[in-house]
Amino acid sequence: MVKKKVPDWLNSSLWSSTTTTSSYYDTNHFDHHSSTSASTPIDPPLPSAATRDEQQHPPRHHHNYHPRKPDIKEDKHSKSSIVNDNISNNSSNSIINNKIENRKADNTESSADDISNQALLLTELSRKVINMGELRRIASQGIPDCAGIRSTVWKLLLGYLPPDRSLWSSELAKKRSQYKRFKEELLMNPSEITRRLEKTMGFDNDDAKSESRCVLARSKITHGEHPLSLGKSSIWNKFFQDSEIIEQIDRDVKRTHPDMHFFSGDSSFAKSNQEALRNILIVFAKLNPGIRYVQGMNEILAPLFYVFKNDPDEEMEACAEADTFFCFVELLSGFRDHFCQQLDNSVVGIRSAITRLSHLLKEHDEELWRHLEVTTKVNPQFYSFRWITLLLTQEFNFTDSIHIWDTLLSDPEGPQETLLRVCCAMLILVRRRLLAGDFTSILKLLQHYPPTSISHLLYVAGKLHGQPSH
Amino acid sequence: MVLVLALGDLHIPHRAPDLPAKFKSMLVPGKIQHVICTGNLSIKEVHDYLKTLCPDLHITRGEYDEDTRYPETKTLTIGQFKLGLCHGHQVVPWGDLDSLAMLQRQLDVDILVTGHTHQFTAYKHEGGVVINPGSATGAFSNITYDANPSFVLMDIDGLRVVVYVYELIDGEVKVDKIDFKKTTATTHSAH
Repeated sequence: MVKKKVPDWLNSSLWSSTTTTSSYYDTNHFDHHSSTSASTPIDPPLPSAATRDEQQHPPRHHHNYHPRKPDIKEDKHSKSSIVNDNISNNSSNSIINNKIENRKADNTESSADDISNQALLLTELSRKVINMGELRRIASQGIPDCAGIRSTVWKLLLGYLPPDRSLWSSELAKKRSQYKRFKEELLMNPSEITRRLEKTMGFDNDDAKSESRCVLARSKITHGEHPLSLGKSSIWNKFFQDSEIIEQIDRDVKRTHPDMHFFSGDSSFAKSNQEALRNILIVFAKLNPGIRYVQGMNEILAPLFYVFKNDPDEEMEACAEADTFFCFVELLSGFRDHFCQQLDNSVVGIRSAITRLSHLLKEHDEELWRHLEVTTKVNPQFYSFRWITLLLTQEFNFTDSIHIWDTLLSDPEGPQETLLRVCCAMLILVRRRLLAGDFTSILKLLQHYPPTSISHLLYVAGKLHGQPSH
Repeated sequence: MVLVLALGDLHIPHRAPDLPAKFKSMLVPGKIQHVICTGNLSIKEVHDYLKTLCPDLHITRGEYDEDTRYPETKTLTIGQFKLGLCHGHQVVPWGDLDSLAMLQRQLDVDILVTGHTHQFTAYKHEGGVVINPGSATGAFSNITYDANPSFVLMDIDGLRVVVYVYELIDGEVKVDKIDFKKTTATTHSAH
C-alpha cells in the first residue's frame, strides 16, 4: 500500500509495461522507506536534479531485482545488503555467479545495472544524514554519469561535504570564501603587495600637489623591499623563485589532455578551465612549500575538475574551482609522499608502494610474479610507477579512468589499497601475454596497457580483496 | 608589473674595470624584462653582458661608445608609458632641465632617461619626468671626479611607476624609491 505520494521520477510510462513486477517492487520499495525513521518522503536529492529526473529515463531497477534477489527482506539494509553481498567475502557463490551471468548475458542488463545503482544512490543521497558506509558500498560498483550524481558523491567520499545534508550550505560557503581568500593573498604580485603595505603604513603620497617643476622626492623603501632584493624573506625574491614553479605549472596545464575540448584548444571555455587548473595548482604549491608542484599533479587534478565543472547544478558549477581545490588537497593527502623525492625509499614512499604491489601479485599469482621478477627481470618500477602516482589516469581513456576512480574513492580505507588491487588485476588480466613475452614485449604491453573492460577489471580487483591466492 | 632597468655611463674599460661587485650580485637574469642604457658602455663585452640580463636591450650612442651603430635617441612603449632614451651629451647645457624638457617634448614621451652627467637626478615638469640613472660604475665624468655608482630600476604597473634608485655609498648598497602616477592613459592602442 502506498502511503506517500509517488514522486514524479518514479511515475513514468515505463512502469506500466510490466505491471506485476512493478507493483510488487513498488510496495516493497515504499514499505522499505516507511520503515526507516530517518528518511523524509522521497524527494529528488538535488533540487535541480528534480526536473532532470522527470525528463530522464526513470529507473528500471525492477527488472533486475527480480532475478537477483533471493528473497525480499523488510529490514533497513535490504537493498544495500544485496549489493554488499555481491562484493563482500562472505557472499554466497550463487549470487556472484548470478551477477556474472547477468553481466555477460545482456547489454540491456548492464545498463540496467547502472540504473539500479542510480536509484540506490539517489535514495541514499536523499536522506537527511547520509550513511557513508552504505554510500561507499554503492559507489564502489560505479556511479552513473547523469544528473551530477558523481559530482556530489565524490564530494561526499572525499569528505568535502559532511554527511549531514543540513550542514552543506554553510560548509560550502565557508570553504569557498576560504579559497577566495587564498587566491587573493597568494596570487598577488609584489607590486600590489608593496602598495598595500604602504597604504597600511600611511605612506600614501598622493602627488596631488602638482607643482609644475620640482625635483621628485625620494622616499624610503618599506622593509628593505626592492625588486632585486636577495633576502630570503623578501617578497620579491620569493616571487621570482615561485615564478619558476609557475612556469612549470603553466606548461603542464597547457599539456593536460590536449585531445579534449574541455581542457585544450582556443575556446574561451578551455582557456578559463586552464586558468582554473593553474590557479588551483599555484595556490596548492604556495600553501605546501614542502612539496610545491610536481609534474603529474595536473593529471590528478584534471578528472576532479572535469567532474565538478560538469555538474548540472549552476551554483555547483560556478564554484567548481574552489570545490576542486579542497577535494584535490584531500585526495592528494594520501598520496603526497609519492611525490616527494626524499621519501622515495621510505616506508611511505613510492618504492614501498611498488613493493607492496609486487607482494600482492606474488600472493595471488605466483607464476606470473616469478616470470616478471625472476625470469624476465622486469623491474615493477618501469610500469607501475606511473600507474600508482597518477592513479591510473594515464593508462585508460578519460571516461574509463573516471569509472576506476569511482571505485578508488569509495574505499573506506583510502584509495591506496584499492589502487594496488586494481594494478594487480591489470597484470592478472593480461597474464597470458605476459607469460609468453620477453622483457621488451612485456614492457611495451604494460606501458601501453591495452583497452579493456573496466567493469571486468574492477570485478577482478574486487575479488582480490582479502582472498588468498586461488 | 614590468621591471625596466635603466643604467649607463659605465665607461668600461677606459675609466672603470667593471660594475661594482655588489651591483653585479643583484643583477641576475630572469627578473628584468627590459634594459635601457643611456650609452658609453663602451665596448662590446659590456653589451653582451647586458644582453645576458635580458634579451630586450635598448642602447643609445654615447660619445665614447666603440659601436657606432647605436642610435642617437630611442623611444619605446612599455605598458601605459612611453619612454625616451638619449645619452645627453647632445643636449646643451648638460643636465639642464629646460633643454631636457625640450628634448622630451620633441620625442613626445612620458619618461625621458638620459645620462652623461654621472649624477642621479629625477625631475618632474609639465611634460613629464626626466630621470638620470647616473653612472653604474661610478666612473669620473667631464665635470666631476666624485661619482657614486648608481642605477635605476623602474616597476611599471598600470598607470603607476615606482622608481627604485640603487646607489653604492661607502661600500653599501642603498635603495630609495620614487613613486609617481600618470594622470591619463596613452591613447595608443598597439604596444
